[in-house]
Amino acid sequence: MSAPENVLEIRNVAVHFQGRAGLFGRSAHTVKAVNGVDLDILKGETVALVGESGCGKSTLSNTIVGLQPPTTGSIRLGEDEVVGATGRALNDIRRKVQMIFQDPALSLDPRFKIGAAIAEPLQVRGIARGKALKQRVSELLVQVGLRYEHADRYPHQLSGGQRQRVVIARALALEPALVVCDEPVSALDVSVRAQILNLLVALQKRTGVSYLFVSHDLAVVRHICDRVVVMYLGRFVEIADRDTFFANPKHPYAKALMAAVPEADPERQRNKEGNKERYILSGELPSPSNIPSGCAFHTRCPLATDICTRDRPELTPRADGALVACHHA
Amino acid sequence: MGEETTPLLTVDNLTIEIAGANVVDGVSFTVARGEVLALVGESGCGKSLTSYAMLGLLPPAARRIAGRILLEGTDLAAMSERQLRKARGKDISIIFQEPSASLDPLTTVGSQIASAFRQHHAVSGTEAFARARDMLVAVGIPDADHRLHQYPFELSGGMCQRIMIAIALICGPRVLVADEPTTALDVTIQAQILDLMKQLVATSGTSIVFITHDMGVVADIADHVAVMYAGRIAEIAPVRDLFARPAHPYTALLLASVPRLDITPKANLATIEGSVPFPNEFGYGCRFASRCPLATDRCRAEQPPLFEQGGGHRSACWHINRVHELKENAA
Ligand SMILES: Nc1ncnc2c1ncn2[C@@H]1O[C@H](COP(=O)(O)OP(=O)(O)OP(=O)(O)O)[C@@H](O)[C@H]1O
Ligand SMILES: Nc1ncnc2c1ncn2[C@@H]1O[C@H](COP(=O)(O)OP(=O)(O)OP(=O)(O)O)[C@@H](O)[C@H]1O
Ligand code: SF4
Ligand SMILES: [Mg+2]
Ligand SMILES: [Mg+2]
Repeated sequence: MSAPENVLEIRNVAVHFQGRAGLFGRSAHTVKAVNGVDLDILKGETVALVGESGCGKSTLSNTIVGLQPPTTGSIRLGEDEVVGATGRALNDIRRKVQMIFQDPALSLDPRFKIGAAIAEPLQVRGIARGKALKQRVSELLVQVGLRYEHADRYPHQLSGGQRQRVVIARALALEPALVVCDEPVSALDVSVRAQILNLLVALQKRTGVSYLFVSHDLAVVRHICDRVVVMYLGRFVEIADRDTFFANPKHPYAKALMAAVPEADPERQRNKEGNKERYILSGELPSPSNIPSGCAFHTRCPLATDICTRDRPELTPRADGALVACHHA
Repeated sequence: MGEETTPLLTVDNLTIEIAGANVVDGVSFTVARGEVLALVGESGCGKSLTSYAMLGLLPPAARRIAGRILLEGTDLAAMSERQLRKARGKDISIIFQEPSASLDPLTTVGSQIASAFRQHHAVSGTEAFARARDMLVAVGIPDADHRLHQYPFELSGGMCQRIMIAIALICGPRVLVADEPTTALDVTIQAQILDLMKQLVATSGTSIVFITHDMGVVADIADHVAVMYAGRIAEIAPVRDLFARPAHPYTALLLASVPRLDITPKANLATIEGSVPFPNEFGYGCRFASRCPLATDRCRAEQPPLFEQGGGHRSACWHINRVHELKENAA
């Protein structure tokens, strides 16, 4: 037994989607959504996964919870290998990892009352019945800041923030070790966002659950996470502890993200203007079916040189512990 | 100079009714030449309806029951549909919240920009296309000659948004209404679009009414900010004033609920309990009263007017002198 304990170990995971074959029998292009990533998550830790639309965040999330088989690689949850698991083994694994999606409206069946939605995973696994089930549902509702009376409502009778609480209650029903949160607050209003973030933090303190928290909002990420992973076109380009990352992001893409996120403070935001100029990226994210050679970021990178177009930089450790994949950072 | 003080655009007491409720209620603000006014507030507070009303484009369910939209003294709200069509694009333009819904999927982007130009200019197709090309360059689309002949589905979200901006600006409108123009975009693309809009204001003096719910975007682009709550203006102020000295409980809590650099990670953020009232629950008093920690009987009974705080900072709250308590509690 080695402390501290990993709840998740990902090794060399790739997820490629086969595109349809082109006209005249030309070879199909492959979408390399996730392209060989390694990651450990500790018990009780929150790791944030950030990056632009299409970089592979949701694909990796789906793969971790077993909704999307990887093309290669291994995913271990505690003692269990997720990849290739079937039947009972898969069922057991699914209990340990849960997912919260961006849009609470889409993750709740409009025909089921809230109470039934939360009870379902408990019933399916025969964990609780009758009075005990009712009791557990009630506990879960209270845990996420709702009341037992909410059990009798339908999703459409709740606000967006309340619905997301229900989704969280449902995810927690089986006491998972890891909850993958894919943009859990992006669809919510600012005032409601704070409630859900507070709730996620409080639940972690109480239960020791780990989170993989997917987000593009760096202010939220800084608030909630212990470690940051930056993804670009299917690969990790920087991994660092929160304070290290926010004090000194190193990969030019990480710097560009940081410069691009507007801060809710006119003084600071306008002061960083001069600084920002250098890091406003030109161009847009290339297609994951046609990933640039060498460093995939070289087409937009202000530091790129010849070597960047040829050799792909590996993640290498820096003095402060950050892992960075860049020839020049 | 006397003329300097006349605003370019004045929205005066705009009131819009849907199914018997005033979903936009007595909204007033002014925008000076070359100024960016941000209109912020949570989902459903009436931002889009306000912007549609400025161009006479309200949906059938909605009815403007009061209010004037003065563009340099001319009331757009009093115009016939024919007159409005002449004004749209040339005097006032809009970028809609959903870019995919407002570009024609079956027409090349070049033709769409060119036809926007020909709405107001009797020029040949070739001439209009040349203008469209210049406009693509101006909004920062590389390889314009090639892009002109592409269809919207061949372009990324960020490029489609640039096309929308090109269409909105090709006739040099004095006012641009931009309804959440960057909400659907990635942050690095958002930064490009915000810079583009700032540049346009600086070079052409266009005034912008910029609708958003992102306080970061407000801090970046706005000169003045109007905060809406449940169809009314809660507070309106110069941008630095609003962030430094919010004078309405809603604004104060909203600002305190956004994670910031100076808050310890994982510490509790301020929250606003409850939810926005539905239009049929508005009642007579302050519309924020049901969620406001400072609310008293007066708040529930009587609607607070916008009180002038000096320097163009106004707040609709009966307890302005207690708002600082909320800020202190949150910190
Ligand atoms: N089932 C699929 N078949 C083919 N391509 C797919 C599939 N799912 C995802 N992709 C592609 O894989 C890439 C990564 O997508 P993914 O949804 O993981 O991105 P993301 O980082 O979550 O983006 P966003 O921030 O927009 O949610 C995209 O180019 C996407 O189009
Ligand atoms: N066509 C319509 N029919 C009926 N009600 C409508 C219609 N359009 C808007 N509303 C209602 O009017 C109110 C204001 O809507 P509006 O679209 O202006 O909000 P918004 O501030 O733009 O919100 P968001 O941030 O979600 O875009 C809401 O209560 C909305 O439900
Ligand atoms: S008027 Fe009253 S209820 Fe409204 S915001 Fe001020 S204190 Fe709150
Ligand atoms: Mg995603
Ligand atoms: Mg809107």
